[in-house]
Amino acid sequence: MDEQHRGTGPGRMRRRTLLAAGLGLAGTSALTSGCGGAGAAPLPVGAATGTPRAGGVLRIARPPASQAETLDPASSLSAYEYLGALYNRVVRLGRDGEVVPDLAESWESDALGLRWRFRLRRDVHFHDGKPFTAADVVHTVRRILDPAMSSPQEGVLSPLLDPAGITAPDEHTVEFALKSPNAEFPSLLTAYQCYVVSEGSGATIGETGVGTGPFRLESFTAAGRGRVVANRDHFAGAPVLSAIEYFSIADMQARANALLAGQVHLLSQTNLDFATARVINASPRTTIARSPNSQWYGLPMLCTAPPFTDPLVREAFKLAYDQESVFGVAIQRAGSPGNDNPVPPGNPMWTDYRVPHDPDRARALLKQAGQENLALDVYTSAYDPVFTPMALAFAESAAAAGIRLRVRNASADSYYSQIWMRQPLCATYWYTGRPIDQLLNQIFRSGSSYNETSWADSAFDAMLDAARREMDEGRRRVLYQDAQRYLVDNSGSITPMFADRLVGISRDVVNYSEYGFEFDHLNIGLRRQP
Amino acid sequence: MLTFVLSRLGSAVLTIVLSSLMVFFAVQALPGDVASQVLGRDATPEAVAAMREQLHLDQPAWQRYLSWVGSALHGDFGTSLVSGDPVAADLGLHLRNTALIAVVTIVVAITVSLALGVIAGLYRDRWPDLAISWLSLIGMSIPEFVVATLLVLVFSVTVPLLPAVVLDGPNATVADLLPAIWLPAAALGVVMAAYIVRMARTSVIDVMATDFVTTATLKGLGRWRVVTRHALPSALLPTLNVIAMNIAWLVGGVVVVENVFNYPGAGKLMLESVYSRDLPMLQAIALLGACVYVVCNLAADLAAMALNPKLRTRGGRA
Repeated sequence: MDEQHRGTGPGRMRRRTLLAAGLGLAGTSALTSGCGGAGAAPLPVGAATGTPRAGGVLRIARPPASQAETLDPASSLSAYEYLGALYNRVVRLGRDGEVVPDLAESWESDALGLRWRFRLRRDVHFHDGKPFTAADVVHTVRRILDPAMSSPQEGVLSPLLDPAGITAPDEHTVEFALKSPNAEFPSLLTAYQCYVVSEGSGATIGETGVGTGPFRLESFTAAGRGRVVANRDHFAGAPVLSAIEYFSIADMQARANALLAGQVHLLSQTNLDFATARVINASPRTTIARSPNSQWYGLPMLCTAPPFTDPLVREAFKLAYDQESVFGVAIQRAGSPGNDNPVPPGNPMWTDYRVPHDPDRARALLKQAGQENLALDVYTSAYDPVFTPMALAFAESAAAAGIRLRVRNASADSYYSQIWMRQPLCATYWYTGRPIDQLLNQIFRSGSSYNETSWADSAFDAMLDAARREMDEGRRRVLYQDAQRYLVDNSGSITPMFADRLVGISRDVVNYSEYGFEFDHLNIGLRRQP
Repeated sequence: MLTFVLSRLGSAVLTIVLSSLMVFFAVQALPGDVASQVLGRDATPEAVAAMREQLHLDQPAWQRYLSWVGSALHGDFGTSLVSGDPVAADLGLHLRNTALIAVVTIVVAITVSLALGVIAGLYRDRWPDLAISWLSLIGMSIPEFVVATLLVLVFSVTVPLLPAVVLDGPNATVADLLPAIWLPAAALGVVMAAYIVRMARTSVIDVMATDFVTTATLKGLGRWRVVTRHALPSALLPTLNVIAMNIAWLVGGVVVVENVFNYPGAGKLMLESVYSRDLPMLQAIALLGACVYVVCNLAADLAAMALNPKLRTRGGRA
């Protein structure tokens, strides 16, 4: 999965559909065993739970971040799968989007949301035996703020915080003095760039991976294999597994083959296409676990490029397409409708506001805008298996409103550097899992680094600021919901759906649990041998 | 004789020079600004400018081409933009891994397919010939990644004999890679063998119908002796060229097959270099591929000459 959808940035190929997409084992076994689309067993909804055996070595196949990947959590080239095993954050996200303790036991702020104080655990040690203190947290966040690090989270934190504003009044307390009030500040420390590294380890952390997490590093090769072993002294209890081995496999089909052949137990960051998922589900050795609503798919309309400079055209495009049809065709309803709102349905601040499908009104708006018989290209690529079906379904649906869209396929390896944010209309996707304040500010605020539609609306920015300042949670929810409604009505984002990630997994694995950027490293294990 | 060799060498050198030009400019023409693709979206404009300067992208293309060729002639292919290590060392390691597959493929595929081709030729239109011809036709028509996938299905998933993918990095020892080279080699071998079988069969049939074979048979020589001493050397001549072409074709096949098997060889490295726009690495691999291609063809021609009795007797032994 691309850095950038994880939230970090560079448009590097993470999920390559190398050859003849889809004609891998899926295609051939459909030929040989007659297992095809129709009549196949339905894909399971969740992963198996049960009592695992003590110990065991879990083998994970992952797409490499880059040939130059590193274990430094602050970097944009971090080897994502290792981070949650090796490190902890001050706070992390719970299943319902709430902020929960990790290295911090509790936190509070002043009445304005300007000064935040976190009380840290006292029983934590780094893997090298060094006791964990507030100085390590100060060091970690200051590193992220350092422009020389080019950390993806720098753009999120630096508008709120100066390095001098992070202090440690004592060994187990950290204070943050913000530049402007932010009631949601703790949620911004849940990002996976914010894993805590020990003070003074900055120069070597990329190779050593010394953290406080449930596993310690045994070996690591960039874009190669690596191994972490259980940290029995972990403050939240020892993990079930005795070790995890990671293997880099760039080609998605090769990753699926490794799972089918029993060489690995789990395919990380791999959104399987339905054909491959059915094959994996049909095998006696492997199955599918769904990670619900883990991605949102979109067709960003570039607000700085004609015809989308005209708000009437943007509104028409959202009214023109039938969400049910796109959601059904592109992902067979394995997910949730998007309502053109990027906030996921499970988020505590979510609103169900949506604009009903109305092709006649779309036609009238286009006429009003002088854009009757509008013809446009919509770009897609083999970068993700859902892009092309989504674009085709959207084009077909929008045709009913007189919009003629031609689906153009672009090269996957330069899609995020050449097409995205450059062409007026293209397919894209993001991981869900960002807290709402980060999501709306990072992707929709005027001039923000990931503003993929280049939408700049000062009224919307003011709504975000007002929500951030509001310390009462109930009132803040109302403000965030107002912002969502405003975004659905005015932004350049078409969001037809949230999609479940179809995760390939061995039937030997129990208690696999992953949501957003959170992976349960403590409870995952291997089934007892009969 | 000598003039033939020299002119053939000359054209080979010219081909490599032209390939180097094509390689360089094709790589430059890849979509996307190299500096921004390598540095990613979080790069500051200053970093991109510094990178462009470091890559001499501000200089005219022909000037960059000349300095690249100049260094390459000294064996210096620059440093990888991704790892920062010298290209030559990194590529050498991957080439070693690819050589493992290539050697197994070439040795096994050539011996087996020559034997099959000769058998088919000698049993023309009888069942061995029909069976072999059908098989090779099927082998020819299926693309290598499908063959590879079928092999994985049979030998890794259904009967777990061999690994479906390589889990080791390029630093793996030969012993580690040993179990993993058979399926990629088989996938390449099947497609390659088909052509050699058909060529060998045709040549054997042609030669067995010539006068000198008839004469030898009439002289009362045993059939086996006729075939091995008289027919085969002439029959294998045209096949040599096909073999050489196939070895050259391996250069492309290896890219596909290595990626299907996640095999840490030069083919997989080439694809990674395309994705990450690691231009120095990509140029080195592409140029090397071109050299392999040219050298194989040159070898085929020279071998054909050495085996050709007409050429041998006219100019004496070269």
